[in-house]
This record gives sequence, structure tokens and C-alpha cells, in this order.
Amino acid sequence: MPTHTMRRLAILLIGICALFWAAAASAQNVGNFGAGLIGEQQSELDRLTVKIDELARKVADSAEDDARLVALRAELETVSQAVLKSGLAFRPRLAEINARLEQLGPAPGEGQPAEPDIVAGERQNLVSEKAEINVLLGVAENLSVRIKRLVDDIAAMRRDLFARLLTKRYTIDYALVGEVLTAFADEMGDFYYTVSSWLRFVFQFKLKSVTAAAFFALAAAAILVIGGRRVLGGLFVSDPAAAQPSYLSRLSVAFWSTLLPSAALAVFLAATYFFFDYFSVLRGDIGAMLRSLFYVVAVVYFVHRLGRAVLAPPQLEWRLIPVGPSAGHLLVVLVSATAFFTGVDHFLTKVFEVLGSPLSLTVGESLVSTFLTGALIILIGLVKPFVDAKGTARPWHPAFRFLLFGLGGATVVAGLLGYIGLARFMSQQIVITGAILATMYIGFQSASAIAAEGAFGGTALGRRYGRWFKVDETTLDQLGLVVSVATNFIVILIGLPLILLQWGFQPGDITAWLYRLATEITIGSFSFSLTGILSGVFVFVLLYFLTRWFQGWLDGSVMARGRVDAGVRNSIRTGVGYAGVVLAGLLGISAAGIDLSNLALVAGALSLGIGFGLQNVVSNFVSGLILLAERPFKVGDWIVAGAVSGTVKKISVRATEIETFQRQTVILPNSELINAAVGNWTHRNRLGRVEIPVGVAYGTDPRRVHAILLDIARSHPSVLKNPEPFVHFSGFGDSSLNFEVRIFLSDILGSLAVQNDIRFAIVEAFERERIVIPFPQREVLLRRETEPPAGDMSAPPVPVAPQTEPTARRRRKRPDPV
Amino acid sequence: MKKFCLALAGLVAMSGHGMAASATNLDSEPRTLIVTEGGDKSEIAIGAGETVQFCPSGCFVTMPNGDREALNGSETVEISGGVGKIK
Repeated sequence: MPTHTMRRLAILLIGICALFWAAAASAQNVGNFGAGLIGEQQSELDRLTVKIDELARKVADSAEDDARLVALRAELETVSQAVLKSGLAFRPRLAEINARLEQLGPAPGEGQPAEPDIVAGERQNLVSEKAEINVLLGVAENLSVRIKRLVDDIAAMRRDLFARLLTKRYTIDYALVGEVLTAFADEMGDFYYTVSSWLRFVFQFKLKSVTAAAFFALAAAAILVIGGRRVLGGLFVSDPAAAQPSYLSRLSVAFWSTLLPSAALAVFLAATYFFFDYFSVLRGDIGAMLRSLFYVVAVVYFVHRLGRAVLAPPQLEWRLIPVGPSAGHLLVVLVSATAFFTGVDHFLTKVFEVLGSPLSLTVGESLVSTFLTGALIILIGLVKPFVDAKGTARPWHPAFRFLLFGLGGATVVAGLLGYIGLARFMSQQIVITGAILATMYIGFQSASAIAAEGAFGGTALGRRYGRWFKVDETTLDQLGLVVSVATNFIVILIGLPLILLQWGFQPGDITAWLYRLATEITIGSFSFSLTGILSGVFVFVLLYFLTRWFQGWLDGSVMARGRVDAGVRNSIRTGVGYAGVVLAGLLGISAAGIDLSNLALVAGALSLGIGFGLQNVVSNFVSGLILLAERPFKVGDWIVAGAVSGTVKKISVRATEIETFQRQTVILPNSELINAAVGNWTHRNRLGRVEIPVGVAYGTDPRRVHAILLDIARSHPSVLKNPEPFVHFSGFGDSSLNFEVRIFLSDILGSLAVQNDIRFAIVEAFERERIVIPFPQREVLLRRETEPPAGDMSAPPVPVAPQTEPTARRRRKRPDPV
Repeated sequence: MKKFCLALAGLVAMSGHGMAASATNLDSEPRTLIVTEGGDKSEIAIGAGETVQFCPSGCFVTMPNGDREALNGSETVEISGGVGKIK
């Protein structure tokens, strides 16, 4: 036995040793790997620190250059990503270290037995490695803070730069004119030389490339134009035969006839530039100038096409804004000229920048172009575009007119006073922001035009949709409303960022704002997110429709096939509906990020108030559930509840809808149907008894009458044989022997016709058998009023009151079915 | 019509659905995280059993026990005994 124990002990010992060795070895491996990681990330962070230092220096150096600051900012953002990535690289190692430390457990305290050295050493190693990683993470964190500070600095510098640009004043005097003229002549010479030398170079060495580039660019544009015309077809061309085209068709023609050629031109220019660049036809200076030229050409062309489509299309009826014909053409010319001069200014500034011209030239050129732009804006304000009924021209709306005067005047005055930066900014914004605003305005107009009744169904898209999905007019109309709302959203979503970009905001800023807006809105201590709410609503809507679908499927496919009773079907359907809606609501609320436990607290606090205030509603609701579960009556039953008698039409949460036989709808609260007695004529079946009372004169043979009545009842086809009809000799009336025919019908709802048949038959049979039906007779005694003979006072006065025989028949009181 | 609305709603919800890291405090006492997000340092106090969303686009976090971590904005952090674990 002892040897056995010894052997066991030895095995155990060997096992423990092996385990320790393996653990130590793996720790060693991991440790090596960890050291490698730390070194790697250390050098990465060092590299990033150097890069940030360099960027910080560059930022300080380029305080005057807006474009460069923007580029530096973008670079800083990528560095920031790299810093974060470097921090993230420690994640797996940290997880390992933490897991291992957890396995090792805490170090033994005072008085506890010491642990093996190997364990203490490993813990020590791990802890120190973790400390190193923590330090490096701290470095990365500080770097991210530094980057943020630099980005903030850039924002402040750009703001300053912009403010200085707008407020910087140049002296404008006669000396400037002379300077500008000489410099202009010089620079034009330079420009000519640059361009002609480039052209010579192109013709001599790159002619094939240029031809190929032009060919490819033209092909791309042609594909767009031809393909667009083929796909869009009728949308594109205004129909000359249409006398009064609708706003939507005018709009679609204006939209496509602006968009397609503009896009084609833009594609052509972009492709040309791309291929020139690709074949290295461009030199640095020519490239910058060409880019600017292409940009200007595209913008001017777009403004011109837009102006023509809106104000003066080839067919007069297709204008979007009802301006007079000559005024329309004039406006198109003025608007295009405004865009043209602004574009020329943009292009020349670029050229002068590339050629390194003196500042005075840029100032002089900008002065002229901004003056022209301002003057053109004022001229646009002076045009009287509208024609009233009498044919006299009317000016713009005063607010718009004075806005134009103000903008144009301010541009001219700013330019003349020497604030060239401000004047240029204004003239560019007037053209570009104006074009965007005009397009947005048309977008809003189209949204409201689509929302008009029947408008969406009339559009090609609506017709196509209606054909595909076979939807009716009303649905199409509702869809039009949705499309209209969506259009408004899209217009704002596209137009607003475009304008903000024009005004010097960065795409990064805008997305950051949008993100903030979408993810967290804080009011006091309560914060919610727009996306959360949207997704909550989405979940609710989805589950709601899913419930409806499930309900329909259960009812129509499963229960209808399973021959389930209509009442049960209705109950299950309604129950499933309630459960689904409640579930959808709860899931929607939790998807919206609203904590349900908070809701429970509120509900607890309010339950007392709800108990008192909503007592009736809750009681009716619960009663409704009981009605669904217990089913004392179902839809289609004939019930009598208190004074109300009629057919049940609908059992809903709070009340039950009953239609009386006069076709009056009575809404009866469910609690009344639960708390009081309810009669149901058609609960288990439609079998019911009908009584027809009849009286015969005294002296008739009652047995004969009994036999006749029984015969009549038995011979009617609708009267049930079992339970068989019964004739009840019900009593001796004041003037008649009373009988009652009691018959059972399989469908009580058709009792009136049977009653009629039986009554006719009784009358006919009694006539045949000469049996008399007595009726109350009234005997009236008339007495002529005469003078009583004198002295004859003994004669009593005769009463005048009529004598009435009591009613021969007692009528049973029974609810009349009709 | 319904299909279209649903598709639209879905699109809106999907496109706008942001990602953020969330931290849950499993301890019975409030814990504080120091979060450096986009260069701004802030302290986030998380009550017992609470879950907070933070750090939509990458950040550095200092856990209550002093451990540092970098998050890229889609993690779930569980704090128990002052120790933050990333799931």
C-alpha cells in the first residue's frame, strides 16, 4: 500500500512540476511577445510624436494660408486615427495580462504563507509590463489631446484669417490704376508665353495623348447624354402641343434639361482633366489654371441652363416662374453675366497666383469684377419681371428687390472702399449660394406640387408604381404625401451642407454636428438620441405590421381552414392584436433607449392617480378582455342588454358596438355587459320559441279550435317537429276563450315571416269554420238634454260616460324583433 | 405604399444608426471612468447597475482601478470590482 501511495505522490509532483514549467515557458513566450509589442508601439508613438511636432511647426508657419491649414487639419486627423490605432494594439496583450493576473490571484498578505518564487516573479513581470503599457497609453492619450488642441488652433487661425480677409483694406487710387495696367500687360505676356509654350509642347510631343483624352472624355459625355435621353425619354423634352402643362411636368422638364447637359459637361471636363493628368500632359501651373477654368466653365454653364429652364425655356408655357417673355430673356442674360464675371474673377485670381503676379493686379482685377457683379445684381433688382392682367410690368416683391439692391450695393461699395476680400466673398456667395438657394426653392416647390391631390398619380413615376404594385388612387395620393415629405428632407439634407461648405465650414465639422445631433441631445440631465428614437419608431412600426400580418395569416389561413368558430376566431384575433401592439410598444421603447425600469418607477408613482382617474377606462378594458375570453356573446349575436336589443357588431377594448333593428348603433361600455344580465338569443344556437295568442268567442267548440290551431302550426314547413308545436288553452277571458300557439323555429331571426304565415292561416281557417274572433265593443248611449218636467225631480240623470267592454284579449309582452 | 414606407423607415434607421461604446457598472457603488474623447478629457460617473453610452468614435479610457485602455467605439465595457473588462 505505501508504495502505491508513494507512486501516486511522485506522479502528482511530476505533474505539478510539468505544469509550472509549461506556465513559465508560456509566460516567457508571452513576455517576449509583449516586449516586442511594447517596443514596436513605443517607436510608432515616437514617430507620431515627431510627426505631430512637425505638423505643429507647419501650422504655425502657414497662418496665412487657408487651404494649407485645411490640409494640415486633415493630416492631423489621420495622425489622430493612427494614435488611437496604436493604443488599440495593446488590447489583446492587456487582456492576456489581466487574465493571467486573475489566475495568479492577489499577492499573499502579511502572515500568509509565502508563494513560490516563480509565481511572485511572474506576477512582478506582468505588473511591470502592464505599468509600461499604461505609461504608453498615457503617452498616446496625451498625443490625442495635443492633436485636438492643434485642430482647435487651426480653427481659430482660419477664423482670424477669414475675418482679416473680410476686413483688410487696400488703398485704391490713381496710382493703383497705372500699376494695374502695367502689371496686367506684363502678366498677360507671361500668361501667353506659359500657355503657348505648353501648347507647343503638347502639339509636338503629346498630340496623340491629347486626342485620346479628348476622345475618351467626349465618349463619356456622349454616353451620359444619349443614355440619359433614352432612359428619361419624355421627361426631358417639353411637348409643344401641351397648352397648359402641369407644374410637375414643367418642373421635371426644367430639372432634367438643366441636370443632364450640366452633368454631361461636368463629366466631359472632369474626364478631360483626368486623362490629361493620366497621360502627364499637364504641368503644375497649367494644371492649376486648367482646373480653375474647368470649374468656372461648369458653374457658369449650370447657372445659365438653370436660368433658361426656369425663366425662359424655348416654349413660353414651360416657364417655372411666370415672368414676361422679354423680362425672362433679360434676366437669363443678367444672371449668366453675373456668374460669368464672378467666374472670370475666380479664374484670373488663380492665374495671377500661379504666375506670381503682384498683389496690386489681383486687387485691381477683383475690383473691376466685383463692381461688375454688384452692378449686375442691382440691374436684376431693377427688372420688372411680372406682367399683370392689364399687361403692365410689375417689379419683384419689395423684400426681394431691396435684398438684391442691398447685396449688389454692398458689394460695389465694399469694392470701391478697398475691402476687396469682402467684395469678392460677397459676389461669389451671391452667385453660388444664390444658385443653390434657387435650386432648393424649386425643390420645395416640387415637393408641395407632388403633395397636391392626384398630382403624384399623374407623374410618370406614380403611374409606373401604380402599374407595378396595382395600388389605387388614394394609396397613390398618400404615397405622394410621403414622397413630398421625403423630397423636402432630401432638399434640406443636400442643400444645407452645400451652403455651409460654401461659407467655409469643413465637411468634418458638419458630419460631427450631424453625429452629435443624431446620437445625443441633452436637456438638463435627461439625454436622448435622435437615431435611438427613430430606431424605436422603426421597431414599433415593423412589429406592428408584423402583428397585423400574423393576425391575418392566423385568421385567414389557419383558423379558417381549421373551421374554428367565428366567435373564437374573433377573440383570438383581437387578443393576438392587443398582445402584438403591447409587445411592439415595449420593444420600441427599449429600442429607443428609454430605460423601462425608469418607466416602472413612474408608473408606480402614478398608479394611485391612475386608479382613481382612469377607473372606468381600466374597468372597461378588463371587462373587454373578459368578454373576449369568456365569450358570453360574439359578433353577430342578437343580444338584449338592459333597454338595448340588437346585433353585436364589434367588441373592442373599451366598448361594444351594438346595432339595433332600427339600425341605430349603440356603444355600450364593456363593464355594463359584464356587471348586468345580458340576454343572448343566439348564444349556443338560433333555436327559439314564438307565441301567437288568439281568442275565440264563447260558444265555440274549444277542442275544434285546438285541433285547427295545432294543424296550422304543424303544417308550416319552418316550424320544428321536435320540440313539437303546442297549443295552449290559456284561459277564459272577459269576452273570449284564449289560446296560444307555441312553435319552435330553427332560426329565431326569421320569426316574423313565420308569425305572419301562421296568423294568415288562422284567420283563413276560422273564416272557413265560421269561428268568430271577438273584439272589444264600445257602446255609446246618447241622451238629448231636455228640460225636466216641473216638479218631476225624482228622475235620475242618465250617465253620459261611454261604456266600454273590457279588452277581449290579453297581450303578451315580448320584445318585438323588428 | 406600406412596403415603401417601411423600406424608407428602414433606410433612415439604418443610415442613422450610430455606434458607441457602452459601459455597464456591475458593482453596488458608483464608479467613475475618465474618458479622453477627441482630445477632450471628461469624467463619466456610472451609478450602480447603470449602463452609459459614450465614445462614438474612438477614445482612451482610464478604468476605476487605474488601468488604461483604448476603445474604437464599438466595445462593451463591464466594470466589476473596479476592474473594467472589455467584451
